Amino acid sequence: MRKILILAILFYILVLLQTSFLVHFNIFGHVPNFILLLVVVLSISEPPTIFFKKVAGGENSGVWGAVFGGFFLDIFSSGPIGFQILIYTAISIFIKLILKKYLWINILKTKE
Amino acid sequence: MRPPLKRNKILIMGVTILLVLSLNFFQKEVKNFFYLISFPIQKVLWQAGDRTSSFFEIIVEIKELKTENEKLKLKIQELLSENTELKELKRENEDLRKALEIDLKKDFKLILADVSGKDALEDSVLINKGLKEGILKDFPVITPQRTLLGKIDEVYENFSRITLISNKNSSFNAKIITADNGVLGVVRGEGNFRVIFDLMPREATVKEGSSVVTTGFEGIFPEGILVGEIKKIEKNDVTPFQRAKVEPAFNIKELNAVFIISDF
Repeated sequence: MRKILILAILFYILVLLQTSFLVHFNIFGHVPNFILLLVVVLSISEPPTIFFKKVAGGENSGVWGAVFGGFFLDIFSSGPIGFQILIYTAISIFIKLILKKYLWINILKTKE
Repeated sequence: MRPPLKRNKILIMGVTILLVLSLNFFQKEVKNFFYLISFPIQKVLWQAGDRTSSFFEIIVEIKELKTENEKLKLKIQELLSENTELKELKRENEDLRKALEIDLKKDFKLILADVSGKDALEDSVLINKGLKEGILKDFPVITPQRTLLGKIDEVYENFSRITLISNKNSSFNAKIITADNGVLGVVRGEGNFRVIFDLMPREATVKEGSSVVTTGFEGIFPEGILVGEIKKIEKNDVTPFQRAKVEPAFNIKELNAVFIISDF
Protein backbone atom coordinates (compact mmCIF):
# COMPACT_ATOMS: atom_id res chain seq x y z
CA MET A 1 0.00 0.00 0.00
CA ARG A 2 2.82 2.39 0.87
CA LYS A 3 4.50 1.60 -2.41
CA ILE A 4 1.32 2.47 -4.32
CA LEU A 5 1.06 5.80 -2.53
CA ILE A 6 4.69 6.63 -3.31
CA LEU A 7 4.07 5.72 -6.96
CA ALA A 8 1.03 8.01 -7.06
CA ILE A 9 3.01 10.97 -5.67
CA LEU A 10 5.98 10.24 -7.92
CA PHE A 11 3.83 10.20 -11.04
CA TYR A 12 1.95 13.34 -9.97
CA ILE A 13 5.25 15.22 -9.70
CA LEU A 14 6.46 13.76 -12.99
CA VAL A 15 3.31 14.85 -14.81
CA LEU A 16 3.67 18.38 -13.40
CA LEU A 17 7.28 18.42 -14.62
CA GLN A 18 6.21 17.11 -17.99
CA THR A 19 3.47 19.67 -18.55
CA SER A 20 5.15 22.73 -17.02
CA PHE A 21 8.93 22.36 -17.02
CA LEU A 22 9.89 20.14 -19.94
CA VAL A 23 7.70 22.11 -22.37
CA HIS A 24 10.52 24.64 -22.55
CA PHE A 25 12.99 22.01 -23.75
CA ASN A 26 11.14 20.62 -26.76
CA ILE A 27 13.36 19.04 -29.38
CA PHE A 28 12.10 19.95 -32.88
CA GLY A 29 8.69 20.58 -31.38
CA HIS A 30 8.49 17.30 -29.48
CA VAL A 31 8.33 17.24 -25.69
CA PRO A 32 10.00 14.13 -24.22
CA ASN A 33 7.51 11.76 -22.59
CA PHE A 34 9.03 10.67 -19.31
CA ILE A 35 5.82 9.08 -18.07
CA LEU A 36 5.86 6.53 -20.89
CA LEU A 37 9.59 5.97 -20.40
CA LEU A 38 9.23 5.27 -16.68
CA VAL A 39 6.22 3.00 -17.20
CA VAL A 40 8.17 0.96 -19.76
CA VAL A 41 11.29 0.79 -17.59
CA LEU A 42 9.28 -0.25 -14.51
CA SER A 43 7.41 -2.90 -16.49
CA ILE A 44 10.59 -4.36 -17.96
CA SER A 45 12.73 -4.24 -14.85
CA GLU A 46 10.48 -5.97 -12.30
CA PRO A 47 9.61 -9.67 -12.29
CA PRO A 48 6.34 -10.27 -14.15
CA THR A 49 3.21 -11.33 -12.26
CA ILE A 50 0.69 -14.04 -13.08
CA PHE A 51 -2.72 -12.34 -13.48
CA PHE A 52 -1.69 -9.61 -11.01
CA LYS A 53 -0.92 -12.24 -8.32
CA LYS A 54 2.44 -11.76 -6.70
CA VAL A 55 3.82 -15.22 -7.39
CA ALA A 56 7.56 -15.90 -7.39
CA GLY A 57 8.52 -12.33 -6.52
CA GLY A 58 6.33 -10.77 -9.20
CA GLU A 59 5.60 -7.07 -8.83
CA ASN A 60 2.87 -4.79 -10.15
CA SER A 61 4.37 -1.30 -9.81
CA GLY A 62 4.59 -0.94 -13.60
CA VAL A 63 0.82 -1.31 -13.92
CA TRP A 64 0.17 0.96 -10.93
CA GLY A 65 2.54 3.53 -12.39
CA ALA A 66 0.68 3.32 -15.69
CA VAL A 67 -2.66 3.86 -13.92
CA PHE A 68 -1.48 6.90 -11.96
CA GLY A 69 0.58 8.35 -14.81
CA GLY A 70 -2.35 7.99 -17.19
CA PHE A 71 -4.77 9.46 -14.67
CA PHE A 72 -2.73 12.59 -14.02
CA LEU A 73 -1.97 13.04 -17.73
CA ASP A 74 -5.73 12.85 -18.34
CA ILE A 75 -6.32 15.49 -15.68
CA PHE A 76 -3.80 17.84 -17.29
CA SER A 77 -5.03 17.39 -20.84
CA SER A 78 -8.26 18.19 -22.61
CA GLY A 79 -9.48 14.65 -23.36
CA PRO A 80 -11.87 12.51 -21.29
CA ILE A 81 -10.59 11.07 -18.00
CA GLY A 82 -9.61 7.43 -18.49
CA PHE A 83 -8.30 7.62 -22.06
CA GLN A 84 -4.61 7.73 -21.27
CA ILE A 85 -5.05 5.42 -18.25
CA LEU A 86 -6.21 2.78 -20.73
CA ILE A 87 -3.32 3.37 -23.14
CA TYR A 88 -0.57 3.27 -20.51
CA THR A 89 -2.05 0.32 -18.61
CA ALA A 90 -2.39 -1.60 -21.86
CA ILE A 91 1.25 -0.90 -22.69
CA SER A 92 2.41 -2.06 -19.26
CA ILE A 93 0.29 -5.24 -19.26
CA PHE A 94 1.37 -6.04 -22.81
CA ILE A 95 5.05 -5.77 -21.90
CA LYS A 96 4.51 -7.94 -18.83
CA LEU A 97 2.63 -10.57 -20.81
CA ILE A 98 5.38 -10.79 -23.41
CA LEU A 99 8.09 -10.99 -20.75
CA LYS A 100 6.21 -13.66 -18.81
CA LYS A 101 5.52 -15.75 -21.85
CA TYR A 102 9.00 -15.68 -23.35
CA LEU A 103 11.79 -14.46 -21.15
CA TRP A 104 12.53 -12.10 -18.34
CA ILE A 105 16.09 -11.16 -17.44
CA ASN A 106 16.84 -9.30 -14.26
CA ILE A 107 18.53 -6.19 -15.61
CA LEU A 108 18.71 -4.16 -12.40
CA LYS A 109 19.91 -6.57 -9.70
CA THR A 110 23.17 -8.42 -10.19
CA LYS A 111 22.52 -11.10 -7.56
CA GLU A 112 19.40 -12.59 -6.02
CA MET B 1 -16.74 -21.61 -8.10
CA ARG B 2 -13.89 -19.12 -8.10
CA PRO B 3 -11.77 -18.60 -5.01
CA PRO B 4 -13.04 -15.61 -2.97
CA LEU B 5 -9.74 -13.70 -3.28
CA LYS B 6 -9.92 -13.58 -7.04
CA ARG B 7 -13.58 -12.59 -6.99
CA ASN B 8 -12.79 -9.76 -4.59
CA LYS B 9 -10.06 -8.52 -6.85
CA ILE B 10 -12.33 -8.50 -9.88
CA LEU B 11 -14.93 -6.63 -7.84
CA ILE B 12 -12.39 -4.00 -6.75
CA MET B 13 -11.16 -3.58 -10.32
CA GLY B 14 -14.71 -3.18 -11.61
CA VAL B 15 -15.53 -0.58 -8.97
CA THR B 16 -12.33 1.35 -9.74
CA ILE B 17 -13.06 1.42 -13.46
CA LEU B 18 -16.62 2.63 -12.78
CA LEU B 19 -15.28 5.27 -10.39
CA VAL B 20 -12.80 6.60 -12.95
CA LEU B 21 -15.46 6.64 -15.66
CA SER B 22 -17.91 8.42 -13.36
CA LEU B 23 -15.29 11.17 -12.85
CA ASN B 24 -16.10 12.19 -16.42
CA PHE B 25 -19.53 13.40 -15.34
CA PHE B 26 -17.88 15.94 -13.03
CA GLN B 27 -14.92 16.42 -15.35
CA LYS B 28 -14.85 20.22 -15.03
CA GLU B 29 -15.02 20.19 -11.24
CA VAL B 30 -12.43 17.42 -10.87
CA LYS B 31 -10.00 19.07 -13.25
CA ASN B 32 -10.54 22.48 -11.67
CA PHE B 33 -9.78 20.98 -8.24
CA PHE B 34 -6.51 19.44 -9.42
CA TYR B 35 -5.52 22.64 -11.25
CA LEU B 36 -6.20 24.66 -8.09
CA ILE B 37 -3.93 22.55 -5.90
CA SER B 38 -1.21 22.22 -8.55
CA PHE B 39 -1.14 25.81 -9.77
CA PRO B 40 1.50 27.12 -7.29
CA ILE B 41 3.88 24.25 -8.17
CA GLN B 42 3.17 24.52 -11.89
CA LYS B 43 3.82 28.24 -11.91
CA VAL B 44 7.20 27.83 -10.24
CA LEU B 45 8.09 24.99 -12.64
CA TRP B 46 6.98 27.00 -15.69
CA GLN B 47 9.13 29.97 -14.72
CA ALA B 48 12.09 27.76 -13.84
CA GLY B 49 11.80 26.04 -17.22
CA ASP B 50 11.62 29.40 -18.95
CA ARG B 51 14.78 30.62 -17.24
CA THR B 52 16.79 27.42 -17.69
CA SER B 53 15.91 27.03 -21.34
CA SER B 54 16.79 30.63 -22.15
CA PHE B 55 20.11 30.15 -20.32
CA PHE B 56 20.95 27.15 -22.51
CA GLU B 57 19.75 28.95 -25.61
CA ILE B 58 22.16 31.80 -24.93
CA ILE B 59 25.07 29.35 -24.70
CA VAL B 60 24.13 27.76 -28.02
CA GLU B 61 23.55 31.06 -29.79
CA ILE B 62 26.47 33.02 -28.40
CA LYS B 63 28.38 32.66 -31.70
CA GLU B 64 25.68 34.21 -33.80
CA LEU B 65 24.78 36.95 -31.34
CA LYS B 66 27.05 39.57 -32.88
CA THR B 67 25.81 39.23 -36.45
CA GLU B 68 22.25 38.95 -35.24
CA ASN B 69 22.68 42.07 -33.14
CA GLU B 70 23.87 44.06 -36.14
CA LYS B 71 21.00 42.80 -38.24
CA LEU B 72 18.50 43.69 -35.56
CA LYS B 73 19.94 47.17 -35.15
CA LEU B 74 19.49 47.77 -38.86
CA LYS B 75 15.96 46.44 -38.63
CA ILE B 76 15.19 48.74 -35.71
CA GLN B 77 16.30 51.75 -37.75
CA GLU B 78 14.10 50.65 -40.60
CA LEU B 79 11.10 50.08 -38.38
CA LEU B 80 11.61 53.36 -36.53
CA SER B 81 11.38 55.39 -39.69
CA GLU B 82 8.38 53.35 -40.78
CA ASN B 83 6.82 53.83 -37.36
CA THR B 84 7.01 57.62 -37.46
CA GLU B 85 5.47 57.55 -40.89
CA LEU B 86 2.66 55.29 -39.71
CA LYS B 87 2.01 57.42 -36.61
CA GLU B 88 1.54 60.38 -38.85
CA LEU B 89 -0.84 58.34 -41.00
CA LYS B 90 -2.73 57.15 -37.92
CA ARG B 91 -3.28 60.70 -36.77
CA GLU B 92 -4.42 61.70 -40.21
CA ASN B 93 -6.75 58.69 -40.33
CA GLU B 94 -8.27 59.59 -36.98
CA ASP B 95 -8.78 63.18 -38.07
CA LEU B 96 -10.41 62.11 -41.29
CA ARG B 97 -12.63 59.59 -39.50
CA LYS B 98 -13.73 62.31 -37.11
CA ALA B 99 -14.42 64.63 -40.01
CA LEU B 100 -16.44 61.96 -41.77
CA GLU B 101 -18.11 60.92 -38.52
CA ILE B 102 -17.07 57.27 -38.77
CA ASP B 103 -16.49 55.41 -35.49
CA LEU B 104 -12.90 55.35 -34.38
CA LYS B 105 -11.27 51.95 -34.10
CA LYS B 106 -11.98 50.58 -30.64
CA ASP B 107 -9.21 49.23 -28.48
CA PHE B 108 -9.61 45.70 -27.18
CA LYS B 109 -10.74 44.92 -23.66
CA LEU B 110 -8.05 42.66 -22.29
CA ILE B 111 -7.81 40.21 -19.40
CA LEU B 112 -4.33 39.24 -18.21
CA ALA B 113 -3.63 35.60 -17.31
CA ASP B 114 -0.64 33.47 -16.34
CA VAL B 115 0.31 30.29 -18.17
CA SER B 116 0.65 27.25 -15.93
CA GLY B 117 1.11 24.28 -18.21
CA LYS B 118 0.85 22.68 -21.62
CA ASP B 119 -1.25 19.71 -22.60
CA ALA B 120 0.77 16.51 -22.90
CA LEU B 121 -0.97 15.37 -26.08
CA GLU B 122 -2.13 18.43 -27.95
CA ASP B 123 -1.12 21.99 -28.64
CA SER B 124 -3.13 23.58 -25.88
CA VAL B 125 -2.13 25.64 -22.87
CA LEU B 126 -3.66 26.05 -19.41
CA ILE B 127 -4.16 29.53 -17.94
CA ASN B 128 -5.25 30.67 -14.49
CA LYS B 129 -8.39 32.65 -15.33
CA GLY B 130 -11.80 31.07 -15.80
CA LEU B 131 -15.55 31.51 -15.53
CA LYS B 132 -15.15 33.59 -12.37
CA GLU B 133 -13.21 36.25 -14.28
CA GLY B 134 -15.81 36.31 -17.04
CA ILE B 135 -13.99 34.21 -19.61
CA LEU B 136 -16.13 32.35 -22.12
CA LYS B 137 -15.52 29.82 -24.86
CA ASP B 138 -14.06 31.09 -28.17
CA PHE B 139 -12.53 34.26 -26.75
CA PRO B 140 -9.38 35.09 -28.75
CA VAL B 141 -6.03 35.03 -26.94
CA ILE B 142 -2.97 37.12 -27.82
CA THR B 143 0.55 37.43 -26.44
CA PRO B 144 1.79 40.63 -24.73
CA GLN B 145 3.45 41.51 -28.07
CA ARG B 146 -0.02 41.48 -29.68
CA THR B 147 0.53 38.41 -31.79
CA LEU B 148 -2.10 35.73 -32.12
CA LEU B 149 -1.85 32.73 -29.79
CA GLY B 150 -5.18 30.92 -30.09
CA LYS B 151 -8.66 30.83 -28.65
CA ILE B 152 -10.31 29.65 -25.45
CA ASP B 153 -11.46 26.07 -25.81
CA GLU B 154 -12.59 24.86 -22.40
CA VAL B 155 -13.55 26.98 -19.43
CA TYR B 156 -13.41 25.76 -15.82
CA GLU B 157 -14.30 27.63 -12.64
CA ASN B 158 -10.86 29.18 -12.07
CA PHE B 159 -8.93 27.99 -15.12
CA SER B 160 -9.32 27.72 -18.85
CA ARG B 161 -7.62 25.97 -21.72
CA ILE B 162 -6.37 27.70 -24.87
CA THR B 163 -6.23 25.88 -28.20
CA LEU B 164 -3.09 27.20 -29.85
CA ILE B 165 -3.23 28.11 -33.54
CA SER B 166 -0.83 25.20 -34.10
CA ASN B 167 -3.42 22.72 -32.77
CA LYS B 168 -4.62 20.24 -35.37
CA ASN B 169 -8.24 21.30 -34.81
CA SER B 170 -7.50 24.97 -35.38
CA SER B 171 -8.13 26.74 -38.67
CA PHE B 172 -9.14 30.28 -39.52
CA ASN B 173 -9.12 32.85 -42.30
CA ALA B 174 -5.97 34.90 -42.79
CA LYS B 175 -4.21 37.14 -45.24
CA ILE B 176 -0.62 37.51 -46.40
CA ILE B 177 0.40 41.12 -46.62
CA THR B 178 1.80 41.90 -50.07
CA ALA B 179 2.51 45.09 -51.98
CA ASP B 180 -0.95 45.09 -53.57
CA ASN B 181 -4.16 43.77 -52.00
CA GLY B 182 -2.86 40.82 -50.07
CA VAL B 183 -3.40 37.10 -50.55
CA LEU B 184 -6.27 35.39 -48.76
CA GLY B 185 -6.07 31.87 -47.43
CA VAL B 186 -6.58 29.66 -44.42
CA VAL B 187 -4.16 29.15 -41.55
CA ARG B 188 -4.22 25.60 -40.23
CA GLY B 189 -2.47 23.99 -37.28
CA GLU B 190 -0.38 20.89 -37.88
CA GLY B 191 0.47 19.96 -34.28
CA ASN B 192 3.82 20.30 -32.49
CA PHE B 193 3.87 24.10 -32.89
CA ARG B 194 3.76 23.89 -36.69
CA VAL B 195 1.41 26.09 -38.69
CA ILE B 196 0.71 26.19 -42.43
CA PHE B 197 -0.97 28.70 -44.73
CA ASP B 198 -3.24 26.76 -47.05
CA LEU B 199 -5.67 27.35 -49.97
CA MET B 200 -3.55 30.08 -51.49
CA PRO B 201 -4.38 30.69 -55.20
CA ARG B 202 -1.79 29.25 -57.60
CA GLU B 203 -1.20 32.51 -59.43
CA ALA B 204 -0.43 34.44 -56.27
CA THR B 205 3.20 35.42 -55.84
CA VAL B 206 4.29 35.58 -52.25
CA LYS B 207 7.73 36.30 -50.92
CA GLU B 208 9.22 34.36 -48.05
CA GLY B 209 9.31 36.47 -44.93
CA SER B 210 6.04 38.31 -45.55
CA SER B 211 3.68 38.66 -42.61
CA VAL B 212 0.42 36.81 -42.10
CA VAL B 213 -2.45 38.59 -40.32
CA THR B 214 -5.99 37.63 -39.35
CA THR B 215 -8.91 38.84 -41.45
CA GLY B 216 -11.67 38.40 -38.89
CA PHE B 217 -14.04 36.79 -41.39
CA GLU B 218 -15.09 33.94 -39.11
CA GLY B 219 -15.95 36.31 -36.28
CA ILE B 220 -13.73 34.77 -33.63
CA PHE B 221 -10.49 36.69 -34.08
CA PRO B 222 -10.30 40.45 -34.50
CA GLU B 223 -8.94 41.79 -37.77
CA GLY B 224 -5.28 42.57 -38.34
CA ILE B 225 -3.54 40.59 -35.62
CA LEU B 226 -0.14 39.22 -36.55
CA VAL B 227 -0.09 35.42 -36.91
CA GLY B 228 3.44 34.82 -38.14
CA GLU B 229 5.82 34.92 -41.03
CA ILE B 230 5.85 32.91 -44.27
CA LYS B 231 8.76 30.47 -44.17
CA LYS B 232 8.70 28.10 -47.12
CA ILE B 233 6.31 28.05 -50.06
CA GLU B 234 5.30 24.67 -51.44
CA LYS B 235 4.17 24.83 -55.05
CA ASN B 236 2.97 21.68 -56.72
CA ASP B 237 1.84 21.17 -60.33
CA VAL B 238 -0.86 18.72 -59.28
CA THR B 239 -2.61 20.56 -56.48
CA PRO B 240 -4.96 23.46 -57.30
CA PHE B 241 -3.60 25.56 -54.43
CA GLN B 242 -0.27 26.60 -53.03
CA ARG B 243 0.58 26.17 -49.41
CA ALA B 244 3.29 27.64 -47.24
CA LYS B 245 4.88 26.91 -43.90
CA VAL B 246 4.33 29.67 -41.36
CA GLU B 247 6.66 30.49 -38.51
CA PRO B 248 4.23 31.38 -35.69
CA ALA B 249 4.88 34.73 -34.06
CA PHE B 250 4.52 33.31 -30.56
CA ASN B 251 7.19 31.16 -28.95
CA ILE B 252 5.99 28.65 -26.38
CA LYS B 253 9.38 28.74 -24.67
CA GLU B 254 9.09 32.45 -23.93
CA LEU B 255 5.44 32.49 -23.02
CA ASN B 256 4.64 33.63 -19.48
CA ALA B 257 1.59 35.83 -19.59
CA VAL B 258 -1.21 36.06 -22.14
CA PHE B 259 -4.04 38.48 -22.85
CA ILE B 260 -7.60 37.33 -23.47
CA ILE B 261 -9.64 39.68 -25.64
CA SER B 262 -13.09 39.92 -24.08
CA ASP B 263 -14.46 42.58 -26.38
CA PHE B 264 -13.51 43.83 -29.81
